Amino acid sequence: MASETLAIAPTGLSTRSLAERLHEWAVTVDHKRLGILYIGYALVFLVIGGVEATIMRVQLAVPNNHFVSPQVFNRMFTMHGTTMIFFVAMPILFGFSNYTVPLMIGARDMAFPRLNAWGFWMSALGGIILYFSFIGGFGLYGAGSAPDVGWFAYAPLTSPAFSVGHSTDYWIVGLLVSGFGSIATALNVMTTILCMRCPGMKLGRMPLFVWMNTVMAGLVLVAIGPLTAAQLMLLIDRYLGGHFFDTQAGGSAVIWMHFFWIFGHPEVYILVLPAFAIVSEVIPVFSRKPIFGYSIMVAATVSIGFISLGVWAHHMFTVGMTSYANAFFVASTAAIAVPTGIKIFNWVGTMWGGKIIYKTPMLFCVAFLCQFLIAGLTGIMLATAPFDWQLGNSYFVVAHFHYVILGGIVMAVFAGSYYWYPKVLGKMMNETLGKWHFWLFVIGFHLTFDFMHVPGLLGMPRRVYTYEASRGWEIWNLIVSIGVIFQIIGILLWVADVIWSYYKGEIAGNDPWDAWTLEWHTTSPPPEYNYAEIPVIRSRRPLWDLKHPEDPDWKYE
Amino acid sequence: MSDETQAANSGSDRPAVLMPAPTAWPFAMALGTALTFAGLLTDVSVSVLGAILTISGAVGWFRQVLPHEQHESIPVEPEEPARVLPPREVTRISVAQEIQRAWLPLKIYPIAAGVKGGLAGGVAMAVLAGLYGLIFYHSVWYPINLLAGSLYSQSATPTVKEMLHFHLGWFLFALGMHITMCLLVGLLFGAMLPLLPRRPVLLGGVIGPLLWTGLLYHVIGYVNPLLDERINWWWFAASQAAFGIVAGLVVVRQNKVWTAENLPLALRAGIEAPGLMEEHEGEGEDNKR
Repeated sequence: MASETLAIAPTGLSTRSLAERLHEWAVTVDHKRLGILYIGYALVFLVIGGVEATIMRVQLAVPNNHFVSPQVFNRMFTMHGTTMIFFVAMPILFGFSNYTVPLMIGARDMAFPRLNAWGFWMSALGGIILYFSFIGGFGLYGAGSAPDVGWFAYAPLTSPAFSVGHSTDYWIVGLLVSGFGSIATALNVMTTILCMRCPGMKLGRMPLFVWMNTVMAGLVLVAIGPLTAAQLMLLIDRYLGGHFFDTQAGGSAVIWMHFFWIFGHPEVYILVLPAFAIVSEVIPVFSRKPIFGYSIMVAATVSIGFISLGVWAHHMFTVGMTSYANAFFVASTAAIAVPTGIKIFNWVGTMWGGKIIYKTPMLFCVAFLCQFLIAGLTGIMLATAPFDWQLGNSYFVVAHFHYVILGGIVMAVFAGSYYWYPKVLGKMMNETLGKWHFWLFVIGFHLTFDFMHVPGLLGMPRRVYTYEASRGWEIWNLIVSIGVIFQIIGILLWVADVIWSYYKGEIAGNDPWDAWTLEWHTTSPPPEYNYAEIPVIRSRRPLWDLKHPEDPDWKYE
Repeated sequence: MSDETQAANSGSDRPAVLMPAPTAWPFAMALGTALTFAGLLTDVSVSVLGAILTISGAVGWFRQVLPHEQHESIPVEPEEPARVLPPREVTRISVAQEIQRAWLPLKIYPIAAGVKGGLAGGVAMAVLAGLYGLIFYHSVWYPINLLAGSLYSQSATPTVKEMLHFHLGWFLFALGMHITMCLLVGLLFGAMLPLLPRRPVLLGGVIGPLLWTGLLYHVIGYVNPLLDERINWWWFAASQAAFGIVAGLVVVRQNKVWTAENLPLALRAGIEAPGLMEEHEGEGEDNKR
């Protein structure tokens, strides 16, 4: 597929000094560069969050271990969770969205290019503020450095009485600042999609990638607000003597939970919809078939968007809500499995009878399908209130959501990286390294997260610093920690592939995968203006129409 | 090429595209905003610096876009023409009429038939149940309150006297349950009747009520203990029979439709792809405008 050899656009990298190049990146308002900046900054935080996870797994590999202190362990799980959700998963998916959406809809840039730059820098600076806590969080009290209240920072642990110093404040302000950036980006994505589509691209002809990012942007606009509001209230509690979450003064700790999870569960779909979007582009191209049931996929996406706003309290079954609330959130959570299941069937339906090409992007999509299915099934188990009463806050929950995040979202991100790398950098990634990366990472993933369910079922609570040898958890924790080694090697191979291919990779040409969406029509990498002429399209697969004038899609749509 | 892209590159004949000019002001404003917040955690001077940067960034940003947005002119590189691949044969999927079918029924009742049958049967059943209440308890509310029996806990079982009166909550619950069950059973009738096309009364009036009554006889104790205690099985079977006969008669009066069972899954799912969808004549929709 990559046999075509077309000259790539000259980048002119060699004629400018490093300072000039850095300046260009700092002042850019080009959606493609900002997309790359998002992805690059997310990768830096991925390494940091990965190191934190590794520290935790070393600590838990054997019983009665003291590799780090309990205080450091608390900081590690807080920073790992916060980093991976807010400073890895969100920005990397925003990066894909930023880079790809305008190209896919035939636009020259985002609707608000300067706001786009502002959004990126706000997100990035939020991460820097959070990590400055390792230096600045010590405060006046000698009471710690980085935040240690967990990534959902339940009250009253965040109150001044239990969290002295500034560590929790860094958590609040870091997320607050990055939240403004997220809202700006979502506004931009939504406006761009609604207002800047090329002639002929009706809503019903938009690529599924674009549809899913539209819903993602809508969810960000709805969900970040409650989190921002809650953080401002917490700041008022901590700085101005407010009592929003102070139960001893008439406040409510449960209100914090509601605020957090009204953000927190749509957040899962904010992350997973762009992952669905990637998979919905890769699977048809590598199955050599159009997507199965386009309209149903769109309807399922929109349904997921709506239903996901009404499921948040399934994170709170163990709090002790009323039976009516429990019943409602059990039912709504079960309901969201329907559109999600439809998607799984449609992806499988797309592959069914297709001429499947098992290149690295497709391998990751197949792994995604299997793993996300399992993640969904354990999700349904945990959404059943009596089951959750038994296993809430256990390692079963940790295994479940890592199955969603790593088994689903990260797999899709890897698929997307191999798929669009040729477009972004004009070179093909190395297939051999890619397959090594795939197999090592998948093996490591399953070693870690399949076996992590077991100590959860045996009663091991999440966030424990260490455990006694007599509980039957030892062997499972050791296997879980060994899996991390495979994952680390897999990711190192991916990084090596990215760097090696940039210098030595085969020239990609405009359309190395014989794909059908508009971004493959322009050069690789695309020029600053994306398209010399704004394309006019007549079907969902405009490149198919161009390549097959004897049998275009528009005759049948 | 659109008008905005026709700007000539100064000093050159090459066409150029106007793109938003790079600017540091968004970065300055973001840095300023972040420092303003960071001052809460460090020192007020950091917030002051942040505020100054934020305001400077905002002013600089506004001047970038007001009164006119600042652009830079990017010369256009020649584009590669789109590849045209050699024509190829597209496999057409066979549809129902071309396949020798080996299963029955050829025609089925639409879903609406089951809905109508279920609702009509539900009315007949309610009339008989009401009659039972009037004859034995002199109250039409007794069977309704009995139906709502799954609402009551063991410790709060109402007395017979209480059940002779109207209770809004119990009534709404019983009504919702009755309609739901009638619709579901009506749909079942709609699906099953084509299997016994010439004997709807046999299915509706005898087989259906027998099956349903037999099933309920065993499970009613779990779902509605109160009903289980006080049920009159003869009247129950009679009301089931009334439901079945009316529902069956309503269903068989509806028009049948061809089954889509043997159509390819892709066609039934509405997949839009060459070979499956009807081909437009001549040019596409856009060209008709």
